[in-house]
Amino acid sequence: MDTSRSTKEDRIFTAGVSVFSGRPDPAWTLDEETGSRLQQLFETLESSEEPATPAPPLGYRGAFLRDDSGHEWLAYRSVVTHTAPNRSEARRDPGRKFERALVDSAPQGLVPPGLLAQEFD
Amino acid sequence: MPVKITIDIFSGRPNPEVEISGKEAQDMLERLKPGAPLAGEEAERAATPILGYRGLIVEQTGTPAVKELPARFRATAGSLVGRGLAHKAADPDFEQFFFSTKGASSKVKEVTKIRALIKEELPRAIDLRKKLVLQLPPFPIKLLCACAPLYEPAWWNDSGQKQFNNNCYNYASNYRTDTFAQPGRAAGAMYTALTCASVLPAAVADALEDTPGANNKCPAEGHLVALVIAPNIDFHWFRKGRNGLWTHKPGGTAVTNVDNSGHLITDPRTANRGMYTDFCTFMVVKHGHIKIN
Repeated sequence: MDTSRSTKEDRIFTAGVSVFSGRPDPAWTLDEETGSRLQQLFETLESSEEPATPAPPLGYRGAFLRDDSGHEWLAYRSVVTHTAPNRSEARRDPGRKFERALVDSAPQGLVPPGLLAQEFD
Repeated sequence: MPVKITIDIFSGRPNPEVEISGKEAQDMLERLKPGAPLAGEEAERAATPILGYRGLIVEQTGTPAVKELPARFRATAGSLVGRGLAHKAADPDFEQFFFSTKGASSKVKEVTKIRALIKEELPRAIDLRKKLVLQLPPFPIKLLCACAPLYEPAWWNDSGQKQFNNNCYNYASNYRTDTFAQPGRAAGAMYTALTCASVLPAAVADALEDTPGANNKCPAEGHLVALVIAPNIDFHWFRKGRNGLWTHKPGGTAVTNVDNSGHLITDPRTANRGMYTDFCTFMVVKHGHIKIN
């Protein structure tokens, strides 16, 4: 009998970047620790009443984090929007800390580095 | 006398709605009683569809309480239009009241976001309607691309299965597969590099016809599409619609008719395409001939 397994299942987080048109967008799995750290980072941000800046149709359109219970955090430029079943909330992220941390969690080479340099530098 | 009010603003997403009744509904219908008839082109201006906020759709869902108003009509920029209705509203600032903290919009889900959006959209819509230049359509109406698909973004933009699992190639070829179709995959000849030289023959293998000399002109049969490339990063497709304008679907996002500068697309060769810097070619999609996956 397996006695080492935790009674509480770890949450599964998926992160990704919305950037491509023809190819599927790059996406990767994050462990509970990294996902929770990002979630805590979001909690430190101030609320925002301003609507998020719309991204242009082609090219980098933001980074996302999703968990397996219907929560999604979408970061683009200085706003991070958290959507949960039946509610959504936006927070200001002027330094793009959340978005950068999310993009930095990508496995090396998965997101074309030139694109990110153009967006963040 | 229940009244349903729909804020007509979105294209892909469902519009926000609110239902009111009793004194609140009675007060609202008083404000919406028909005043002076609209003169000259005012009625056509009020009824002309525009992008963005288009007004409030008011429906008397029970027995109509105000006989002068039809069961369903539109209130926009202080005007009322509907069956037998083309009048100024008794309260021309009705929309400002509706979106104020005292108005029924307070009951709309996500009202803060909607108000922020309306703060910009309402004055813009009012100004735009005043400035609308109405053009009589030529007769007989000439279809620029009679065989091309109609621009029907709402069909694709369902925020679900259709939108997320169909990409620019699906949309351009007007062929839903729910597989994020890749050029050449259906024919077992998928592209091997993200270059014009590799993606173009893959699309030919799917039975799209290469027409490099099309020069933005509609074909006699089928419809025109255009292949562009972000070198070594990605490919993208546009399609020419029945009205002669080009539209596209960037990946799993919503279908749009504007480029990266927010302009309507008359020619994909000159549109702002962001990172998709290489224009490869025009191609023709003949309906029923192609197979993609």
